[in-house]
Amino acid sequence: MTTLVDTTPDPAAAPKRARRPTRSGHARRLALQTAFVLAILAAWSVARMADVMTVDALPAPWSVAERLVEDVQTADYWTTLLDTLRSAVGGLVAAALVGIPLGLVTGTYAWAERSTRVLVEFGRSFPVIAILPVMLLVMGTSFMMKGVVVFLACVFPLIIQAQYGAQSVSESVDETVRSYRIGRLLRFRKVVLPAASPSVWTGLRIAATMAVLVSIGVEILTTVPGVGHVIVTSQQDQNSANAYAYILTAGLLGFIVTRLVQLAEARALAWRPPTTLEN
Amino acid sequence: MMTASRPTRFLLGALLQLWMPALVVVLLFVATANSTSFYFPPFSEVLVALKDAFVEGDLLSDLLFSLKNLVAGLAIAIVAGTVIGTVIAETEWFRVASQPVLDFARATPMVSFTPVIILTLGIGAAPKIFLISLGAFWPILLNTIAGVHGISPAVRESVRAYRIGPLLRLRKVLIPGAAPQILAGIRISLAVAIVMMIVSEIYGSPEGLGYFILTSGSSFHVADTWAGTLLIGLLGYALTLLLMAVEYLSLGWYVQRAPRTRARDRRAVASVDPAAVPAA
Repeated sequence: MTTLVDTTPDPAAAPKRARRPTRSGHARRLALQTAFVLAILAAWSVARMADVMTVDALPAPWSVAERLVEDVQTADYWTTLLDTLRSAVGGLVAAALVGIPLGLVTGTYAWAERSTRVLVEFGRSFPVIAILPVMLLVMGTSFMMKGVVVFLACVFPLIIQAQYGAQSVSESVDETVRSYRIGRLLRFRKVVLPAASPSVWTGLRIAATMAVLVSIGVEILTTVPGVGHVIVTSQQDQNSANAYAYILTAGLLGFIVTRLVQLAEARALAWRPPTTLEN
Repeated sequence: MMTASRPTRFLLGALLQLWMPALVVVLLFVATANSTSFYFPPFSEVLVALKDAFVEGDLLSDLLFSLKNLVAGLAIAIVAGTVIGTVIAETEWFRVASQPVLDFARATPMVSFTPVIILTLGIGAAPKIFLISLGAFWPILLNTIAGVHGISPAVRESVRAYRIGPLLRLRKVLIPGAAPQILAGIRISLAVAIVMMIVSEIYGSPEGLGYFILTSGSSFHVADTWAGTLLIGLLGYALTLLLMAVEYLSLGWYVQRAPRTRARDRRAVASVDPAAVPAA
């Protein structure tokens, strides 16, 4: 049996090609990327004008932009955003506090890792959103319930990545530590923790994306306030432009959260040489 | 343990992996045996409910409906993701131009499209397949781009130097070179696809596993809800194992050729662990 560990390096964090972009190369890049965004907007507009889909399914880009500009100026928009962010971040932090230590400790001892493997992999492959009907019965529609579902979604990827990181201590280092009879705590602090940190950061990156996804998923399926809930109510009111404005908001939220984790990762791992596939 | 025969070692390994899950199941039985709590029925009752729902209820057709949509959605995402991904990775200006948009799309929670799609396109199977493929597409696309683009320049130069034709190049260089990354992408996509499947069925559907747990929950058949949730968990685990088996079989060459993995493999055989070969 193989383990369910994500060893794929993050494309954004991967070392850049050796060639340094020149100033003109940079400008060209930016122009290309802007042109691509414009091309997509143009295709979207053409699809709207040709009526490929109904207005309810695909509103015009300009009406979405108009709605978004109006929404941003309201206080409701920001409280909605905060509702989603609070549960996502709260669940993520709780999952990190529980999952990372648990994974590091069980990962350090082979027998512990193997004993917990099936359970952890089951938890990891469980589509957490399916626990929602049960949670609705047990906890009701509440802010707390959303946080608990986010926690459950985030904790297993974190455990797995922390376990994997703790295992990545190379054999020669391990033997050196043993022959010098280095104590458990010192070993944990100076050997296991630094060796595990890249893998733990990968786990945090996966968990952060998951946290936003699950928060919004719960909001769509229940009446817990947040971005997802506004998308539902807008679409039900046939105000699809507003629904799209909030979908864009959800995208921005996901994008910003992943970027923040990536930045923190780059800072925390700055001491390390660039990662390669075989880390 | 060094001298133990292969089957004995395998048995010991299996035992070490299975004692804790077995213990948890036993504990579940014991802890809930006399449960009178409305929300936490005895585990045995949940299992009976699961059996009854299969034999007397429509759970089998719900399961088939969900599985059909999942497979169709994943298949579309795999074909579209690998083809478009290869094209993007092989066209340098296209790859550069599309990068920010793709990064943004990857970070967008695709579940947020569920209300729009289902309220406008209806509660049938087609909108659900569309949603599943929409969610599963991005990880496959981005991993294909990373995989194809990541093929070492030395290999590319050799291909050019020998004037190897585009078809042969695709078959013998690009596909095998990117396969580990693509399969890793499919593994992520599978998880996303199952979530999209459940969300679309809970949001609006006349059948399917999501529908089953929703209706049993809202009509307070708590044992049924637990049974359905358990079934979904088992389905997710089974599909993940299946995918890992496919990965292991099709990427046998990859595991064999990566020197460090091979070293680790040898070490594993020498000590206790015949199952520690990582997937990728």
